[in-house]
Amino acid sequence: MDQAIDRRWRDPELLFKALPSVVLQTTCFLAPLVMTFILTFQRTRDFQLRWTWDLTVWTDVFSKPHYWTILGHTLFMAIACVVICIVLAFPIAYGLATRFKAIENEIKILITFAFITDATLKTFGWVLFLDKKGAANYLFAHLGFPPDIVAFLFTDWATMLGMVYNLLPFAIFTIYLSIDNIDRSLILAAYDAGASKFRAHWEVTLPLCKPGIWAGSVLIFLLGVGVFLEPKVLGGGKSPMSAELIRQTFETRVNWPLGAALTLVLMVVAVFIVLLFTRMLGMKRAGFGT
Amino acid sequence: MNHRAESLLVDVILYGVMALILLFFYIPIFTLIAFSFQQGRYLTLPFEGVSLKWYGELFHNTNALNALWNSTIIALIATVVATAIGTLAAIAAVRYMFRGKTLFQALAGAPLAFPQLLLGIVLLLWFSVLGKWFGFNTGLVTAIIGHIVYISPFAMVIVAVQVWNFDPTLEDAARDCGAGNWDVYRYVTIPLLWPGIFSAAIFAFLLSWGNFYITYSLAGSMRTIPTFIFSGIAVGSSPLYPAIATVVFIPGILLVTLAATMRNRRAQRQG
Repeated sequence: MDQAIDRRWRDPELLFKALPSVVLQTTCFLAPLVMTFILTFQRTRDFQLRWTWDLTVWTDVFSKPHYWTILGHTLFMAIACVVICIVLAFPIAYGLATRFKAIENEIKILITFAFITDATLKTFGWVLFLDKKGAANYLFAHLGFPPDIVAFLFTDWATMLGMVYNLLPFAIFTIYLSIDNIDRSLILAAYDAGASKFRAHWEVTLPLCKPGIWAGSVLIFLLGVGVFLEPKVLGGGKSPMSAELIRQTFETRVNWPLGAALTLVLMVVAVFIVLLFTRMLGMKRAGFGT
Repeated sequence: MNHRAESLLVDVILYGVMALILLFFYIPIFTLIAFSFQQGRYLTLPFEGVSLKWYGELFHNTNALNALWNSTIIALIATVVATAIGTLAAIAAVRYMFRGKTLFQALAGAPLAFPQLLLGIVLLLWFSVLGKWFGFNTGLVTAIIGHIVYISPFAMVIVAVQVWNFDPTLEDAARDCGAGNWDVYRYVTIPLLWPGIFSAAIFAFLLSWGNFYITYSLAGSMRTIPTFIFSGIAVGSSPLYPAIATVVFIPGILLVTLAATMRNRRAQRQG
């Protein structure tokens, strides 16, 4: 329905509808972000905030490689998580949109419920499953495997498992929507032109659901750089990621300015990478077109 | 290879992957449910016996009951407010043309792509500084505000899909027949948008009910179910925590099933 109505900002109808969101997100999202930025120019002494207006925190951030190693590790984990999620989500989304008609709704309910269930609970469940004395080893031992075969809890692998587990539904939903929107006649046309199923898939379906894959990747990447529960609970806190470092800076060291600076660095770098990839993929597409 | 053989092969692969992924999704959930029936004191296998003992214990544990109560209050208030704000924003973002519309859409939807923990921290800084100036502490109210900031964009996106399929001439028709603004909302706009608003509300409730990151940052010393369970995540803790987890699954299962059944029934009526 493309019958949008022209409105001026003074129109009470528009104000009534748009103002609550504008006020909410300005006072409780934009203003806090600006405040975070301002805080990075202050200092803490004796666990108290001092309004000093200098660059101590920023020189600290840029002179300690420790912070940047953690950031690099975080970005690597987030990107690996994006790749795994997209590869796993594609067949599911494709099947949901085209094949599983008979049980489509049941599968959707199952995925939605698993998605909407609190991440803390599910992460706890994984700990109980993967623990040395947990369910996995118990089951494998009964099947005749040697004892303690599942022993990767408290490593990066367990962190990755948790991240993929918690973020995979985002990829499934976005890719599903984009495949669902593809005009079926385009694929039938490819068959008429003699394409095999795989060929049609490769040359028609895949390029057409690029927006969905892209949206899913961006979402997962941005959420992935901010994970805290998985490295702490499943990774055992051994190789910390940025979010945990930030959390510690606030909680244990009570250094708000430093925490604020690290938050901003993480956000800026993450957004920059998204923009960089957008640019690169955009150029690639233009290259193919000519 | 002919089309039928290819088709069969694709089916086998897709159904196989689907089954594996569903298994993957439900491993931790079933593990938790299973452990909640452990009779012994510790979360280790093999079980000493199967019992409902820890469910009984749950109803005598004041901390757990408090957390349950806090979760419910926060989720109810956040659902109502976030759904209302999201619905209004969806109408503005889809139906109207105005200057700065793209900016409005970006602002109203921004928290969607912001990591929750960082949103929580940024808000914690904000409320701590404001709290120092105006003399208040973080607690129930700040947690509710945080949830509303995070959930309104979700509500907006869900309702926007419904608004997009909505024929605005219906509102004009009602107005031509002499209906006032309020009557148009009451008898035309809201009933037509109701399916979207209803799904948004269910989604909002579940997002708030299960929220860990924002509550963890903003609730002060107050505990909700997710933060209460976080404090008990350890293999050494008692089966009380899996029991709470299992209780928490129930509203989720009911609401998700309810939403899906309603959508199906509507689809059948239309089809």
